[in-house]
Amino acid sequence: MIRNTRMKRFSIVSAVVALGTMVITALPAQAAEPGLTSSEIKLGISTPLTGTAALSYGKVPGAMKAYFDHVNANGGVYGRKIKLIVRDDKYLPTLAATQTTNLVLKDGVFALVAALGTATHSKAYTAASLAKKNVPDLFVNTGFSGFGNRTKYPTTFTVLPSYAMEAKIISKFVKDKFPGQAVALVAQDDEFGVDGVNGFAAGSLTLASKTLYPQSSMTDARAKALVTGLSAVPGKPVVILFGTTDVTALILKAAESLNLVSKFTWIAGSVGGDSNTLLALGVKSTTIDGIVAASFFPDAKDTNDEYVKEFSKINAKYNPGVSFDNTVLQGMNSAMLTVQALRAAGKNLTRTGLIKAIENKGAKFASAALVPLNYSPTSHIGYNGYWMGQLNAKGELKPFGGTLSVVTTDSTNGPITPSTYKRISIPKNGIPTNS
Amino acid sequence: MIKLSPTKKRTLFFVALGWALLLIGDRIGELLQYQGSFVAMYALAIASIILLTGYSGQLSLGHSALMAVGAYAGALSINNLNLHPAIALVIATFVAGIFGLILGFGVARLSGPYLAGTTLALAVSLPTLANQFPILGGEQGVVFDVGAPPARFGEDFSMYKWFFWISTLAVLIMLWLISNVVSSRYGRTFRAIRDNETAAALSGLNTGRLKVLAFAISSGMAGLAGGLLVMLISGVSPSAFPLSLSFSLLTGAVVTGVYSLKGVMLGGLVLVAIPEIADSIVTRIGGSEGFTATLPGFLVSALLILAVLFTPNGPGTLLHSFKKHN
Repeated sequence: MIRNTRMKRFSIVSAVVALGTMVITALPAQAAEPGLTSSEIKLGISTPLTGTAALSYGKVPGAMKAYFDHVNANGGVYGRKIKLIVRDDKYLPTLAATQTTNLVLKDGVFALVAALGTATHSKAYTAASLAKKNVPDLFVNTGFSGFGNRTKYPTTFTVLPSYAMEAKIISKFVKDKFPGQAVALVAQDDEFGVDGVNGFAAGSLTLASKTLYPQSSMTDARAKALVTGLSAVPGKPVVILFGTTDVTALILKAAESLNLVSKFTWIAGSVGGDSNTLLALGVKSTTIDGIVAASFFPDAKDTNDEYVKEFSKINAKYNPGVSFDNTVLQGMNSAMLTVQALRAAGKNLTRTGLIKAIENKGAKFASAALVPLNYSPTSHIGYNGYWMGQLNAKGELKPFGGTLSVVTTDSTNGPITPSTYKRISIPKNGIPTNS
Repeated sequence: MIKLSPTKKRTLFFVALGWALLLIGDRIGELLQYQGSFVAMYALAIASIILLTGYSGQLSLGHSALMAVGAYAGALSINNLNLHPAIALVIATFVAGIFGLILGFGVARLSGPYLAGTTLALAVSLPTLANQFPILGGEQGVVFDVGAPPARFGEDFSMYKWFFWISTLAVLIMLWLISNVVSSRYGRTFRAIRDNETAAALSGLNTGRLKVLAFAISSGMAGLAGGLLVMLISGVSPSAFPLSLSFSLLTGAVVTGVYSLKGVMLGGLVLVAIPEIADSIVTRIGGSEGFTATLPGFLVSALLILAVLFTPNGPGTLLHSFKKHN
């Protein structure tokens, strides 16, 4: 009997050891600068491909790949083709941490691009030792101002304007356009929402009510209770929805079923105000008509815009079957920034060189946004402004009041000033030639 | 030939295993060290389920919630009390254990599907509850930082090796303790209750108290596993403990063989290896990202069905019957 037990233990231990050895031998050898050969640059993205967050952001990797394919077909970056490795993190911190670690250690990527989320990416950054390994962490899709902390996130460059900037700009807009109206804020109870709440405070907007909810716990019933509660406020109160698209949709649908859509003036933040996703989530087009939203991009349906026109062409050719919307525009824009960053780092590409190139030349990169980029040796935060618009029934965002007014600001107490930024024209055929 | 008592043999086995893992940890790359830490953490979480289900006959579908309790306790003691990470892990174990004890008293009268239902409700509601208290950090959660490895290990000593050391050491100590418990009087009484509660009660065992004890020990183990999990992902937040984690652990326990602690490492290995296998399948045969994303879930489910069909008591029994036939 003891013999059997011993045998069993022995066989389990040996099985584990054997398996371990098998995996070790399969491990690729590390090059001096990982993810880089004379013919290829390997980039990685950890983002949700499945789950609720994938509804809005699942299109980003496909759009980026399409743009990289376009660049590769036109000679790549100094002869090197870009390969994008995509890993699904389902918008869960554990998966973001392991998938980002996999990208760095297993896939051996040269740099990370366009990771999504605050709760997810802040954990992934530490777990994958990105700071210690000096892995460039480019154009993270979050407006959390904490990523601007250079000591904690030395290799990170965010792309979106901070949520605090957005809240400040919305505050001024509400005070200017809806004076005397009661204002209710409904925000997500995490770094994203809190960043926003601080921005509304900095913008000294008087709030009649403030509701903070955890993103994962908003349900149909809670949304209805919330809307019913808000409807007790007399007049036509302004409701600011500062959360993800799925929750924005839940609240709007609750208002639909309670026949209370027209009771309020709705303002949706840039994260939750994506009309295509709202429509896809079942919000009626009549509800969407009139919603006020903030944006820093041209509208993806504006076919007169040169960036929209070029990106749509690339999308049709390399990303067939996927409709062109704000998310695709955002993905392609990040990909174009990446190509410019790689070019700016020169032919002798290194990780340190890439980071330095964005710090020194990033503010001059061509981009689809109507606001400037703010990269410098002291700032890793991307865009710094917004314009306010109003959605129509087709989901197009048109400038509020008919005139486009772009404003810029900072994340703290700086003033909100009209932007004098003149957008750089899109390079010919959408292929950057900068150096 | 020196005759050793079973307890000493067990101790020697764990020391030898620890020594072997130390040597292996030195020779593998950072990725394997990181994955190895996950294997150890999952092995402990699976062991906690095996102790509860296989040994004391209670079914829990809410172990992810118990892991979350330990994880938050550990993270808060590092962040708010500035305690050493090792002490934080001990606190994670004890807080989850005490939580399990209180919960155990609450659900002592429940068994079978009722107990499963109650623990399931816990797994669904507890992470949401974490959003209600500002000290728990909302969706963003709390940072769990064990800090850089001690300088005396040298420059080359990576964070992943440090993780590997902490996880394997913590798990080996815990499993050694538990393997002693299950081969003691308590282990026998747990099994007696599992096999026939009425008969156990007639033999003079306080079945209610013993069940609560098993629940508390199991919770403590889950709490430590939770602490280790959030150490590996450098922070705790509600979404780190989805319901699917409870089910994955249960799958791991069934694949391992729910009546024996011996194969827990296999269970941990399976949970870590499946996404890797799925990955290499997709790389080989090609396929969309959606395919890669859903394949691990499919493989886990398939493995669960196959395990239930062919080795309901774990792969160890197959080996046993194979030997008998020969």
